Amino acid sequence: EDTLSAVHAFPETLIYTKSFLSFVDKVNAAGEGVVRIDVRGGPEAIGMFQQPDAVRDGIVDMVYTPGSFYAGVLPEKDALVASNLTAVETRENGGIALIDQVHQEKMGVKYLGWFDSGVCYNLWTRNEPTFDANGNLEVEGLKLRGNAVYNAFFTNYLGAQVIDLPTGEVYSALQRGVVDATGWTQIGLIDLKWNEFLNYRIEPCFFSTDLGVIINLDKWNSLSDESKKVLQDVAIQHEKDSVAALRAKRDEDFAALEAAGMKVVSLEGEAKANYLAAAREKTWERMKSVMAEQPGGTGNYDKLIELFYDLDAAK
Amino acid sequence: MIAVTRAYSALLYAMAVVAGATLVWLMVSVIVSVLMRNLGLQPFAWLFTSAEYGLLYMTMLGAPWLVREKGHVHIELVTAALPARLRRGLSRLVAAACVAVCVILTWKGADLFLTNIERGDYDVRAYYFPRWLLTIAFPLSFGLMAVEFARFVFGAELMHTGEAGIHE
Amino acid sequence: MEWYEALALLLGTIIFLMAIGMPVALAFLAANIIGAWVFMGGERGVAQLLNNGLGALTKYALVPIPLFLLMGEIFFHTGLGGRMFNAIDKLLGRLPGRLSYVTVLGGTAFSTLSGSSMGSTALLGSLMVPEMSRRGYQSHMSIGPILGTGGLAIIIPPSALAVLLATLAQIDVAALLIAGVVPGLILASFYIATIWLQTRMNPDAAPAYDVEPMSLGRKLGLLVTEVVPMVGVMVVIIVLMIRGFVTPSEAAAFGALGVLILAALFRCLTWESMRKSVVGALRVTLMAYLIVFGSATFSQLLAFSGASRGLVNWATSFDLAPLAMLGVMFAVLLLLGMFMEQISIMLLTVPIFFPLANTLGFDPIWFGLIMLLSLEISFTTPPFGLLLFVMKGVAPPGTTMREIYTSAFPFIGCSLLLVALLVAFPQLALWLPSL
Ligand code: NA
Ligand code: NA
Repeated sequence: EDTLSAVHAFPETLIYTKSFLSFVDKVNAAGEGVVRIDVRGGPEAIGMFQQPDAVRDGIVDMVYTPGSFYAGVLPEKDALVASNLTAVETRENGGIALIDQVHQEKMGVKYLGWFDSGVCYNLWTRNEPTFDANGNLEVEGLKLRGNAVYNAFFTNYLGAQVIDLPTGEVYSALQRGVVDATGWTQIGLIDLKWNEFLNYRIEPCFFSTDLGVIINLDKWNSLSDESKKVLQDVAIQHEKDSVAALRAKRDEDFAALEAAGMKVVSLEGEAKANYLAAAREKTWERMKSVMAEQPGGTGNYDKLIELFYDLDAAK
Repeated sequence: MIAVTRAYSALLYAMAVVAGATLVWLMVSVIVSVLMRNLGLQPFAWLFTSAEYGLLYMTMLGAPWLVREKGHVHIELVTAALPARLRRGLSRLVAAACVAVCVILTWKGADLFLTNIERGDYDVRAYYFPRWLLTIAFPLSFGLMAVEFARFVFGAELMHTGEAGIHE
Repeated sequence: MEWYEALALLLGTIIFLMAIGMPVALAFLAANIIGAWVFMGGERGVAQLLNNGLGALTKYALVPIPLFLLMGEIFFHTGLGGRMFNAIDKLLGRLPGRLSYVTVLGGTAFSTLSGSSMGSTALLGSLMVPEMSRRGYQSHMSIGPILGTGGLAIIIPPSALAVLLATLAQIDVAALLIAGVVPGLILASFYIATIWLQTRMNPDAAPAYDVEPMSLGRKLGLLVTEVVPMVGVMVVIIVLMIRGFVTPSEAAAFGALGVLILAALFRCLTWESMRKSVVGALRVTLMAYLIVFGSATFSQLLAFSGASRGLVNWATSFDLAPLAMLGVMFAVLLLLGMFMEQISIMLLTVPIFFPLANTLGFDPIWFGLIMLLSLEISFTTPPFGLLLFVMKGVAPPGTTMREIYTSAFPFIGCSLLLVALLVAFPQLALWLPSL
């Protein structure tokens, strides 16, 4: 029997971790006697930003983490961040295969699957957002909380005054009015209790979560073909299942938020198109500039964009 | 030899001075970023990041000086209960164990530093910051700490006092 | 390796090394090297250990502690502290142990400013201990109350730890924060009673010197010139925080700035006092942060090896009455708290304890508060509570670790009494949030 040790980036109580743990259960059921995943814990076992190095060096065999946590090694993760597709389409069109190949070359890890995709980000604000004559969002006066993932968009396009705060400090910062707006995924706001202070959700949503399972390559190569098949098959199934499960969870969250008074405002027409275009293009720019400094250069750039973004759908 | 010792001491104290300056910088960076925010300006993200990195530099650069100052807290139970000769032996043995720990961490710290350079690793926060600029602090700090602990193994002065019962 | 073998190896190593007198930080690092070698696959595990330490240390949440220390040191070295305490001595007349009471009152007020017990202990310790020992207070009269009130910081809002616990456990953040107010005040009153008992039982504990009688006008004058400015600095910062000008983490920097400005106004700011203040703050910070560097990784090894998870699962596997189960969970938290860092303990135990508490019929807010109390207690529990080492750093030279331990015990007793009270009368915690 093959055994893989695993850690996850986020606390056990978070929805994304629960999704990973259900993947583990499925592998352990389907792979009985063949392959088993032994979960050692979350950030209490290995710090969340140290996990990518830990799997690379073989301290642990498998990690469930956002690609953004190893953005320095693998700028290509921004293709997933900016994507408007899910794992289902990109598995089909070869996008995930390309991402896997890049992971093997640049990091020495196997990219097993892109889980919990199809969840995007919104801007959430305390006060009613205002729009200029052309329908663009006015960010002046917004005290916007940002972080490394979306600063390329917030700062370079929106020109917002971004306040970098760790997630743990956002609650009290919202409470005291240090910030009055933040980006966050469509789900999870209720779990963090930020909805106590935020009253507006701005549509359209942008970006995508980039959570994936990576496995140390030596470990992967040492597995029996049977084990590999179980892991890969269950992962592909979970890519599909998690999209559906999180969409259901999103609808549930949105309904609960709406019932509690959350209002939705939306950009329209050209303003909306510009907003979405900026979100993806500023992120792609960042990806390209970091790729250019690495071995291999920007060779995969066009291919990645073609496979991970559906321009027609954005119109 | 004397020149080497002097240069070494100068390095040790220079590192401690940098650590102290970093502590003052923590205060300045927080104040500047709060003032900027409340004046409606966008605070430079490096104010925040430099404070976080500053914590590492401060701790690592100051640690060898603190060994010399005997400022790393320890508990004297066994050393206080032993007769003087045994106590001196144990004290030097404990210092030797500290040297061993620091030598291992110097070695693996140098390893980590070289790996970071070779892989071109970045620490990604508000900026992409070369990781080796952080991890270079490890071999430097633990290397000097090893030397400082070695002074308690071979030098005239002991790390433990063992005076009058339990004492630090 | 079974979980209890891993636990025995890791804890055995650390206890042995500390007992033979290895500096605490080095003992953690040595245990980490052994643990990384065994559980993380040999020497590459040691590099990972350094990476983990780097991650644990470069956190913004740790920025306030050196700044609170700096604030306290400036206060002491510029002589502002001496002036204020002289005035308080005169104002409070002959009350034995008056500065101990001042410590509790000041510490309780300060808890509304700080969300970190280490920051709170650092400030009060550097502020009060040198001055009190200069005035002839026995060390337990200064160290004890400070260790006690240090823990109040995480019970009385704002408290970063309470927000994190509520988020992890998916309970109402505001309710948990408010639930801490009444128990926090009760705890502070227990501390006052303890000091009163200590001065009654041992009149030599605090200096008893006569104070010349003073007219009301002179008293008022003293109050305005010596006490109000310093208290004013604190009040201004609390107001700035409530108004959203600064976050709790940023407050410390403004505290230090405020004292600097005050010292300049009182014309007692010199380069020498600045140098001494920075060196004093640096010494304690370096000592404490190298321990943080080592103990954070030690926590992770306890988790990664399966030792702490095994302990938690084993302890909760018995089928006991609710009250006994509460006792078991409390004991596990205290035990883990002696060796592990607080956030790691919460990440590890919340997913197991809260569902269990739910099936046992406990109110989640009440249970959350008990959990916070246990974390607070373990922070000051000998031999490894981190606050004890911070206190050792700020205490005058010659203060022994035993003095610090024995000073802590009566105040740990107060916290345990409070837990017992909360078990008997849950309304003490739940009444205020229910309004
Ligand atoms: Na507090
Ligand atoms: Na502890």
